[in-house]
Amino acid sequence: MPGGIKGINRTKILFFLSIIGPGIITANVDNDAGGIATYSVAGAQFGYTLLWSLIPMLVLLFMIQEMVARLGVVTGKGLSDLIREQYGVKVTFFTMLALLLTNFGNITAEFAGLAASLEIFGVSRYISVPLGAAAVWYLVVWGNYRVVEKVFLFACTVYLAYIISGFMANPPWEEVMTAMVVPTFRVEEAYIFMLVGVIGTTIAPWMQFYQQASIVEKEIHVKDYRYVRLDVIVGCVFAVVVVFFIMVACAATLHANGIRVTSAEDAAVALAPLAGRHASILFAVGLANASLFAASILPLSTAYSICEGMGWEAGVSKNFRDAPQFMGLYTGLIVLGAAFILIPGAPLIWIMLVSQVINGILLPFVLIFILLLVNDGELMGRYVNGRIYNGVSWLAVVVLIGLSMTLIYLAITQGIIG
Amino acid sequence: MITDSIYLSELLDRPLLDKKGDAIGKIRDLSVAPGDPFPCVEGLYVKTSRGTAYVSMKEINVLNKRVVTIRGDAGAIAYAEPREKEILIAKHILDKQIVDVNGVKVVRVNDVQLGQVNDHFGVLAIDVGFGGLLRRLGFGKAKKGTLIPWRCVTTLEPGLDRLTLTMTRKSLSEMHPVDMAEILSQVSMQERTALLSTLDEETAGDVIGELDEQTAARIISEMEPEKAADVLEHMDPDEAADVLGDLPEKKAVELLNRMEKEEAEEVRELLEHDEDTAGGLMTTEYICFPPDMTAEEVMKELRLVAPDIEMIYYLYVVDREEHLLGVLSLKDLILAQPKAPLASIMVTSPKTVLARDDEKVVAEMVSRYNLYAIPVVDEEKHLLGIITVDDVVDMLLPTPLRRKR
Repeated sequence: MPGGIKGINRTKILFFLSIIGPGIITANVDNDAGGIATYSVAGAQFGYTLLWSLIPMLVLLFMIQEMVARLGVVTGKGLSDLIREQYGVKVTFFTMLALLLTNFGNITAEFAGLAASLEIFGVSRYISVPLGAAAVWYLVVWGNYRVVEKVFLFACTVYLAYIISGFMANPPWEEVMTAMVVPTFRVEEAYIFMLVGVIGTTIAPWMQFYQQASIVEKEIHVKDYRYVRLDVIVGCVFAVVVVFFIMVACAATLHANGIRVTSAEDAAVALAPLAGRHASILFAVGLANASLFAASILPLSTAYSICEGMGWEAGVSKNFRDAPQFMGLYTGLIVLGAAFILIPGAPLIWIMLVSQVINGILLPFVLIFILLLVNDGELMGRYVNGRIYNGVSWLAVVVLIGLSMTLIYLAITQGIIG
Repeated sequence: MITDSIYLSELLDRPLLDKKGDAIGKIRDLSVAPGDPFPCVEGLYVKTSRGTAYVSMKEINVLNKRVVTIRGDAGAIAYAEPREKEILIAKHILDKQIVDVNGVKVVRVNDVQLGQVNDHFGVLAIDVGFGGLLRRLGFGKAKKGTLIPWRCVTTLEPGLDRLTLTMTRKSLSEMHPVDMAEILSQVSMQERTALLSTLDEETAGDVIGELDEQTAARIISEMEPEKAADVLEHMDPDEAADVLGDLPEKKAVELLNRMEKEEAEEVRELLEHDEDTAGGLMTTEYICFPPDMTAEEVMKELRLVAPDIEMIYYLYVVDREEHLLGVLSLKDLILAQPKAPLASIMVTSPKTVLARDDEKVVAEMVSRYNLYAIPVVDEEKHLLGIITVDDVVDMLLPTPLRRKR
């Protein structure tokens, strides 16, 4: 009576559900405090004219995340692990050092986003930031990964808040859809800078390390790779849809009324009189969620990548004596990242600037490592890139490197002016 | 004149000189062959302006921290690329993960210590410490490393396993299943499959039983179905049921059909129960006797059945319909008069749990009455199985200790 056996009734759908996570989480966590700020400002400043860039952005995002996912499934090893094994200690050391510095800046930015979004509700940063940091630390050290992943997937659904607020802004849909498919390029400095910013912030080095590590953690067999790819597609599409609605919400309200904003929290506040209090609240909640979500993943992912690359013991179930480097890095990043927001007069802007520049320098290296690794026949066997796909991938990487170089230039020149 | 000991990082990228002192090229890698008590270096690969050259160790005149020279002329050098199956230290061992068999840990090779012992130049030890990292990065050349002798390590990549000494391989297969499971949980899925294939079915079954259920299910589903069924047969029925319960139904049924009838039947029964109930925790391997058997007869019988059964400390007394009448310990049995029937020795109305009781109830009972095992019965007191203390001890520990295994 094979059908009657209780306890073994898993279907294909359940199987897919057991695989999903890494792709969806990675793509969504990319819409972190910094990303949301960029998209809000872009929508407020340029209305619908940047919407067309979302389609090439989706293609770039998917191509990179797909290659990383494939590396993880086929080799069963993390990205820093592979970089160490193929390119040696020196390359790994400097890559990890850069990753540590840029991620520290990112973590600080996430706590800043948390502080700003909750201040809209009148919660002091001296309450929200320490509580947020403690929650993040506790979640990972005391929860097991399967539970943590469910919490993360729940965090992904909170991004729906942006979709709802997009509808509440009641945009002229016909105009929106036209702007989506008909590129309107404007030859003016501010527009080009914003275009570079919108696409350039989409792909960050740390996402690659995180996604590959969490796919390895799932131990997915190569024959089930198509489910992983589906996970990546779903994640990328959802993440870009969220970006779409953020830009649309800001364009339909702020841009239409000529209101300029410089940050995500400004946008949330400015939405209230135009799209209603609820839209404003949804925007602020979305920002708080995104900040806390990224703040949970970044320190963990950083500590894991570094320890894996340098050959130090790592794992959330280890204590300070067994895994001193891992626990030290993990705790240190959270404590220092949170502290920088709370210390009056801390050089916050300077840290962000340096972090952004290092991010831009690191990204080309990481992308090139990914392409070289994914084309290594000894490593990947028949799962190397196909010829045409490879050509397109190199093109994508060259475009991304160009964008990130422009961002560095911007960060430095604006930083000097500012 | 070859030095007693030198680190690989002190050799790589160093110039190789000919007898006149002219540079031939830079040392890029060392080729090794299996050997006892350590793998021997057979030759050097050197990058020259005219391509890769191979220099056999026999041609080396001096090799130390200051200089590496050959006996002959630069003109006599043979140009050759590494062969396909050749093992190279820098390419295949350096920076890779390796198993420290004594320390029961997976470690990363930061550097390799080479040296000359009894006319053989080979791999003495691997450096896994911070000193090795610093040396590789070019800070502090003289830093002493944290060395693990080669005889205590085994490689993870399938192509390299011939470098592992027979002695090490033996101690690996004799490792405690819990330690082996710990190592398996630290390596990639591909490496795990390779390591497991070196074990026999019995050991593999023990090790898989120690892994968490999802990992175990994944390993089983990747094995050849015939081998997977063999491994499952060698596992405790309760552990086998846990693993099968985590597989897709079709796969589980296929494996059950391939297993020996008797073992498969036991596992099928166990699968009827929910995982977090007493029924899901229990095993159907236990020892029971009728009440009228004497202590003497039981002792004789026990010697025959005990080898295949995990828990023999408690003997359960049941009637013809398998109603649980009582229980006695091995100690009670040994101390009893040889002619005494079990009915006169046993403790009547033993502590029991119902198959549908929650696992927490089981843990509480075992802990409160200090039991090594507790019988599971249905409403009519039929004995269904027993739950041994090792299956509930995890629940009694504070959370962080049991999380990852």
